[in-house]
Amino acid sequence: MKNIIETRDLHKVYASGIHALKGINLEVKEGEFCILLGLSGSGKSTLLRCLNKLIDSTSGEINIDGENVVTASGYTLRRIRRQIGMIFQQFNLIKNVTALTNVLSGKLGYVSLGHSLTFSYHKEDIDAAHENLKRVGLLNFANKKVKNLSGGQQQRVAIARALMQDPKVILADEPVASLDPATADTVMKYLGELNRKDNMTVICSLHFLSLARKYGTRVVALKDGKIVFEGSPKELDERKFKEIYGEDAEEVEIR
Amino acid sequence: MKNNLKITLKTFFTDLLFWIYLLGCLYYLFNYWFGFELENIYLLVGGLILTLLFMLSGISLGRKLFLPSRFTELKWSRTFWGWSVILLLIVTFFVGWYLVEVNPYKFFTKFGNARGIMSGLFNPNFDILSMSLKALTETIYLALLATLFAIPFAFILSFFAARNLMPKTLLGNTVYVAIRTFATLFRSIEAIVWAIIFSVWVGIGPFAGMLALMIHSIAALTKLYSEQIENIDDGPVEAIKATGANTLQVWVFAVIPQIISPYLAFTIYRWDINVRMATIVGFVGGGGIGLLLLQQQQLLRWQNVGLIIWLIAAVVWIMDMTSAKIREKLIEM
Repeated sequence: MKNIIETRDLHKVYASGIHALKGINLEVKEGEFCILLGLSGSGKSTLLRCLNKLIDSTSGEINIDGENVVTASGYTLRRIRRQIGMIFQQFNLIKNVTALTNVLSGKLGYVSLGHSLTFSYHKEDIDAAHENLKRVGLLNFANKKVKNLSGGQQQRVAIARALMQDPKVILADEPVASLDPATADTVMKYLGELNRKDNMTVICSLHFLSLARKYGTRVVALKDGKIVFEGSPKELDERKFKEIYGEDAEEVEIR
Repeated sequence: MKNNLKITLKTFFTDLLFWIYLLGCLYYLFNYWFGFELENIYLLVGGLILTLLFMLSGISLGRKLFLPSRFTELKWSRTFWGWSVILLLIVTFFVGWYLVEVNPYKFFTKFGNARGIMSGLFNPNFDILSMSLKALTETIYLALLATLFAIPFAFILSFFAARNLMPKTLLGNTVYVAIRTFATLFRSIEAIVWAIIFSVWVGIGPFAGMLALMIHSIAALTKLYSEQIENIDDGPVEAIKATGANTLQVWVFAVIPQIISPYLAFTIYRWDINVRMATIVGFVGGGGIGLLLLQQQQLLRWQNVGLIIWLIAAVVWIMDMTSAKIREKLIEM
């Protein structure tokens, strides 16, 4: 299997002086479900946002599916971004419009400016949006305003939005951190399905080891902006866990 | 080193301003009470001497503000700067009293002068009702058009005046600062001043009033709108960017849906304000009910004035209520 994501000696120093990433060398193979572990502030979010250039990295290389992300701009950057779906902890949906409109906005990277400004979507895009909502079990909610949906439903709308991009890669930044355990598992199930059935590569940051073991094919742990562990979820024992999260940490189980 | 100089300069000019102001006030009072005369230059020289004296001895207000001294733990009533501020407040109050020509005696004894206008208020002349209503309609439409014409300008400008949307490059910063500065400048010039300018430019009448309110509304709405943009949730912006959307698409799909209802609320509120200001603007040549009120007042037709005042009050009251109701609904949307 080829590497779909590669970073070489990736650094990020914020304007505030915080050195968030200190030489990350990450390789993710096509079809992997890669879990990012690490404390808040360890650099997980920064790393994910560097991968699709929502944040500019300070130095180093990033390659996604053979394309150089660091130097990309304009149309090239948009073309790279639209192959990468992204899912966020706070869902990041437009709250006061319908689920369908939110899902359709996933197609923006493909439609021309004129079409998008007149809100005239192609029929096949609207059909695809319905199809994707159906896939996450929310077809009946298409015309509901997002703010009237529950947290779990909102995150599923966000997944449907990402699916509109026909992505090769899905970046998920703590997708279940604001959900209750049962809902969290449902959302992870959808991500797992995309990984197995649609062969999408998923990079997902998490805090729960149980979910990491259940869905991940590989685990990468960050600490202070460096990779401190890389391996299969099975290798992640209590000693390794304490290395990542500190001596005082206790594993919290969710099933 | 550079910082030290800055602090010293700040201290010096604060103290200098303080002492020159205090001496100036004292001079005004002595002049008022005793006819005492003095060349202005002595005030400046005196202020400079006092500044140096108290700044160097370390007990001045400037020292207190910018250079924490060893006296900081003292209660203010036991310090020199404390008492000098008290003196300043007392002197300011007296100067203000004489400058404003405050005269409670007149207030309580000369009510008779206002009898005409008071009786006019309670006996409004309904013969001029149709004429007044026409002028009032003019005012309402004037305010409406001023608001409508201001919307597209303010709408577009607000995007460029929002910190979070402008790139942190030299160009982005320049555009942001320029638009913000102009908005502040144009807003700080009262609509009444704009009305004077435009009544000369396009002639006395409602058009001049509309232009005046429009300029003022553009500046005010640009500020309100752009602050609304700065307060939006950044999440959706990030998410739409991540789909591969371009900048304009991000604005249309992630920014506008978040601001549309507060924008409408602000705009209606602005119309409400404009109706009120349109009356005032009419006084200086902006047409409408304000102009009519001015004419009737100058002819001392108090009963006509009475009717106009009631009509204005009614319109302002109705506008106030309905706009509050509509805004309430918009916030819930």
